[in-house]
Amino acid sequence: MAAGPASHGGLRRAQRPHLSKMERMVVSMQDPDQGVKMRSQRLLITVIPHAVTGNDIMEWLIHKYCITEEEALHLGTLLVRHGYLYPLRDPCHLELRLDETPYRFQTPYFWMSTLWPAAELDYAIYLAKKNIRKRGGLFDHEKEHYDQLHRKISHTWDLVVMQAREQLWAAKQRRKGDRLVIACQEQTYWLVNRPPPGVPSVLEQGPERNSCTAGRVQMTKTVDFYRREVECLRKALGRARVKSSVCLEAYLKFSSQRGPHDPIMSGCLPSNPWVTDNDTYWAMNAPSAAVPTRLRVEQWAFSFRELLEDPVGRAHFMDFLSKEFSAENLSFWEACEELRHGGQAQVPALVDAVYQQFLAPGAARWVNIDSRTMERTLVGLGRPHRHVLDDAQLHIYMLMKKDSYPRFLKSDLYKDLLAEAVVPPKTKRRVFPFMRKPRHSSPSPALLPASASREPSGGDGEA
Amino acid sequence: MAKEECKALLDALNKATACYHHLVLTIGGSADSQNLREELQKTRQKAQELAVAIRGRLTPPLRDRGLGAEERAEFERLWVAFSSCLDLLEADMRRALTLGTEFPLNKPLRPLVRTGVEGGAANVAARALSARSLRHEAERGFDVEDLHQLEREILQVGEMIHDMEMKVNVPRWTVQARQAAGAELLARPSAGVSSMRCVSVEQRMGPCDPSKALAATIFSAVLLAAVALAVCVAKLS
Repeated sequence: MAAGPASHGGLRRAQRPHLSKMERMVVSMQDPDQGVKMRSQRLLITVIPHAVTGNDIMEWLIHKYCITEEEALHLGTLLVRHGYLYPLRDPCHLELRLDETPYRFQTPYFWMSTLWPAAELDYAIYLAKKNIRKRGGLFDHEKEHYDQLHRKISHTWDLVVMQAREQLWAAKQRRKGDRLVIACQEQTYWLVNRPPPGVPSVLEQGPERNSCTAGRVQMTKTVDFYRREVECLRKALGRARVKSSVCLEAYLKFSSQRGPHDPIMSGCLPSNPWVTDNDTYWAMNAPSAAVPTRLRVEQWAFSFRELLEDPVGRAHFMDFLSKEFSAENLSFWEACEELRHGGQAQVPALVDAVYQQFLAPGAARWVNIDSRTMERTLVGLGRPHRHVLDDAQLHIYMLMKKDSYPRFLKSDLYKDLLAEAVVPPKTKRRVFPFMRKPRHSSPSPALLPASASREPSGGDGEA
Repeated sequence: MAKEECKALLDALNKATACYHHLVLTIGGSADSQNLREELQKTRQKAQELAVAIRGRLTPPLRDRGLGAEERAEFERLWVAFSSCLDLLEADMRRALTLGTEFPLNKPLRPLVRTGVEGGAANVAARALSARSLRHEAERGFDVEDLHQLEREILQVGEMIHDMEMKVNVPRWTVQARQAAGAELLARPSAGVSSMRCVSVEQRMGPCDPSKALAATIFSAVLLAAVALAVCVAKLS
């Protein structure tokens, strides 16, 4: 239905700044002194003013923005594709031609930002009008749309027919030239909003973001409006902001560190399984591989989180800690993780077990937590929930990260691991890759319902 | 008869909405002027009066539980057409507000877009008001006050729509429209669907226009016959 654009459209409009930029450009073209040169278009009897040629537009763009011809052509094409300019000779092809083809500006009512999204009722009325004018001579895709719309909004079809007839009558009250121009304008609008098949639609946009800016026109500023603004700004003040210089440095460091490890950027050894059908790469990098690859071992040095997330790394770290007699830290951390991600029914029992094993005074594997955190945890243990041990877990995590982790990286254990780590050789490229190894497509999962339950575990094991 | 009155009022509202739509199309373009804004105001006020009248006529029958099924279906059909028409009107009014704020007439922050539409639209507004012609009485600062007025009217119409939804419950999916697909192709007696042609502007009038060609041939045939008769008369006398 023709929805009011104030609240719903305002959100969308705020996310399409390219439209307001184009509109500003179009408006500055209208300047009587510095705008584009206008000509008149002469039909047999009628003369319609305000036509521009493609050349004029290009020259004006080049002159005003000091850009190259290529860029001006691109800008002009964007204007035409979004419906701000329409060609007069070949109305179905929205493109900018650099010759004397005349164009005309679109009325602000049909600009993309005023009248978007296009309502179905409006489209139905337009198609009905076209049907009347051309006595059933609609294009194929329009006929399809017409039938679809009739099915969708058949309850208001009376209104569609009535409005179509009345709008045509209203248009007849105008001069002939004006009537032609208005019909062209409407046609262009619908060409942009319901493009014929094969023409790319300019309306597609990326994922929506939740911006809270209001529409272009603010109705009278009531108390509610100001209250909302104040709250919005207060939330914005509280947000943590990082300077882009800091952010970009971290990003560069991340990219340079990870570059050699990324299988797409630096190739994967022995070979990319998707290309050569050889899945050694996945087998060697499986989570529970016996001998880790060199790249993998190097990755443990990037951050503590990497080390803990890799099961092989975690196991080696546990070995190292048991040599240093601080393995209870890692066990405590693992137990807390299990609590956080485990089942709800097991929470009280697990909390109790953890307390008995790690936190009680005189426990078998007592962990060293500072007194303030210990007090808070003990208070929270009265009402156990899955996040009750979060503070203690974080404390132990930071302890391991600052203390044990650097020592691990400098230890002999780690150096031995690096030395023993395997670097798989690159497979020799076959001269005739397609002749030697026939490729078999894997059987469709839909055909094997019985073994489907056995599949997921095998699938998860591959990296 | 209540239904005929409602139908007549609905037709008038439909006409007013169509004319309003047609006038709003040209705001911000080269045909924009104080006169246009005045025509807009008159048209929308007429539309609102009609809307209030229709609502007054339609609400009692629909809230009357003792109404027969056929009658009720008829009234529901009218109701659905009425509420869709009102939605269209409200949407157009909102757009008029947006455009009117963006393209103020007195101090042009932005010059008007030269769209090629030049003539006045007085006839359109006169058609909406079912009057013969329209007198323009607007002063210079008309559009600014008009915008405030428009805002209030939009809120009123919004409230009316909301009220209507709350008071009368007409499920849209049960309503069957009377017109089928393609009904507009059947010529209505008063509609005369002749002269709107294909809209590619560079077309030549004349040879590709069958009805005009037919008229031309008949005319020339009559003319020839008259000339032949005159020659015969001249020869005889």
